[in-house]
Amino acid sequence: MSDSVIEFNGVSKRFRLGATHDSLRDLAAAALGSIFGGKKRNSADENFWAIKDVDFCVRRGEVLGIIGPNGAGKSTALKLLAGILRPDGGVVRVTGRLAALIEVGAGFHGDLTGRENIFLNGTILGMKRREIASKLDAIVEFAGLEKFLDMPVKRYSSGMYARLGFSIAAHVEPDVLLIDEVLSVGDAVFRLRCIERMKELVQSGTTLVFVTHDLDQMQKVCTRTIVLDHGEIAFEGSPADAVDRYLSAVSGASSTRPTDDLVACDQRLVSLTDFSLRDEADERTLSVDAGKPTTIEATLELKCRIERLVVEVNVRRALGESVVSLNSGRSDRFYCAGPGSHRIAIHLPSLPLAGGQYFCNVRVWDADQGTTVLDTPYRYPLVVNDGGRATGMFCLEHEWSFCSEPQDKLASETVVEVTSSPTGETHESLPVR
Amino acid sequence: MTTLSTSIRLADLSRFQQLLWSLTWRDVRIRYKQSALGIGWAILLPVSMMLVFTFVFTRALDATSLLPTTMPYALYAYLGLVPWTFFGASLSGCVNSLVANRNLVTKVYFPREVFPLSSIGAAFVDFLIALGVLCALMAYFHVRGEWHFIAHPTLLFLPVVVGVQVMLTIGIGMMLAMANLFYRDVRQVFGVLIQLLMFVSAVVVPVPTDGSTLAKLISLNPLVPIISAYRDCVVEGHLPEGAPFVYSAILAFVLMTGGWICFRKASYRFAECI
Repeated sequence: MSDSVIEFNGVSKRFRLGATHDSLRDLAAAALGSIFGGKKRNSADENFWAIKDVDFCVRRGEVLGIIGPNGAGKSTALKLLAGILRPDGGVVRVTGRLAALIEVGAGFHGDLTGRENIFLNGTILGMKRREIASKLDAIVEFAGLEKFLDMPVKRYSSGMYARLGFSIAAHVEPDVLLIDEVLSVGDAVFRLRCIERMKELVQSGTTLVFVTHDLDQMQKVCTRTIVLDHGEIAFEGSPADAVDRYLSAVSGASSTRPTDDLVACDQRLVSLTDFSLRDEADERTLSVDAGKPTTIEATLELKCRIERLVVEVNVRRALGESVVSLNSGRSDRFYCAGPGSHRIAIHLPSLPLAGGQYFCNVRVWDADQGTTVLDTPYRYPLVVNDGGRATGMFCLEHEWSFCSEPQDKLASETVVEVTSSPTGETHESLPVR
Repeated sequence: MTTLSTSIRLADLSRFQQLLWSLTWRDVRIRYKQSALGIGWAILLPVSMMLVFTFVFTRALDATSLLPTTMPYALYAYLGLVPWTFFGASLSGCVNSLVANRNLVTKVYFPREVFPLSSIGAAFVDFLIALGVLCALMAYFHVRGEWHFIAHPTLLFLPVVVGVQVMLTIGIGMMLAMANLFYRDVRQVFGVLIQLLMFVSAVVVPVPTDGSTLAKLISLNPLVPIISAYRDCVVEGHLPEGAPFVYSAILAFVLMTGGWICFRKASYRFAECI
């Protein structure tokens, strides 16, 4: 308990729906009403609880991830932590210097140069001018903006803007750093550097609270994760379990019951009534393990008879790059299907995808007519866990081997040192799986 | 425990002071960015105002006979305009300070007093520059022989006058900033009232002192003794008249304390109401 840097005890935050007061006239009426003991308007139905009785605490050096669907109260929680909002109930306690990166470059002024903005934003985030001066080079180098330091930031690209903003915050070296969904900007290389920097900060003792929608990134950084849903904690535990829980909260409904399709199925000849992933034991699951046998199953509802039906399942990454397309026609599978419900499954002996979030869609053709009879949006999630083994798109089954042959004295000595092998020649083979 | 909380408070204070400095510097900096004259405007604005009023009240319409003093009208007007511009510019900065920094108010936490205070700070920089111009102006009249400069010891009282004015400005400024955050009407009303206030604050024309109801009302205006005090200390060589000045000083202190407390109490609602 004494070790906890952040305490969030039974915290609630309420927002009023609609304007506080529409005009001075309303205020006058309200004030008169309360003075003369007039009946108070029952405002319970005008309130919206963004955070309702939430409890958690974070210990020093921990990395807490907060995930949840839009409107779950993530940003409100962060603003309460930062002191921007005051809770309507409960206690928020933060020990030590706190820096919050709720929006990249909040407080940047377009007319000021990059250098001037570093000093301005640095003081806003709680650094002393002398401290900023000593870190200036590191900040600029991290953001990669050496050439643009004396250019007004209004001429920066949005990527440059974001890089500078993150770089300043990353050099504050606070005791507690709050980050709200800011790393979705910047290119892939920069995002990777941000993750590295965050890990560095954590190693040097910073406590991190990280709100994100990027589940993959979250799993790479966080040690513990909270899933918020409708202002309440739906789950608290390991990042991997939290992802499962989160997906059942956000997309669980849409992956088991594609409601839009059900609504529209009267007008359609073919509709998708179910889409699911199944693991080795043929159990429905929301996330699958890389390299394990997996089945993708779709249930189609047909209104008429189709002589030669072709089904295609496409997989995309969260950012939209196409990963793979599986088409029954290309495997010479044409199905003859009458009105009614049909289950179609794709069996994968091993799923060689890297960990992360993917989305699937389903297309159905009538091969005789040459028409598309169903083409869903990419809305069916496929989440792959690879235990952090792979980055990129694939998690390929592989083995490492290491072998060296001594050429001269120096090399052989080096090898001996490294491997402690008396023969000077080693061969190692480490199966990864 | 006590030492710990004291040291934390000291750290907060130093952070507050750094922030205040940074934001003041930003306000000064951006005001003159992308303008050819740059900081020259801080000199040109009060001087051109002085020229306009000198033309109006000596050529278009002769008001010099109303002056209770022998100093040249230009000097009279300038000595009124410099503190007045400081007051007016501070307050119009304050009115917008929270709303214009919406991004910071909703995204970063630090004591929100920094916003109105830095607006006052930025206006203070211009005020100092304008005081420099005052020296040049006095030298000009002295050399032309229209008026003779004497280094009165009462000049030493000037910081007290400036201090009282700053307290008054902080008090009103904080209330305006806060009020405009909740009701944007405030800015519009302020625009009209500040125009009116200029003509009842002894800035470019003396206020009536004939015992009429209007004169009695005007004597409640705490700015009149403050602005007159600048002329008394710098040119006339006597201390400001006691009772009105003390009244202004007390009122300024009360407004500052009250304004600051209200601001503090309301500040936790700023982020959600802005």
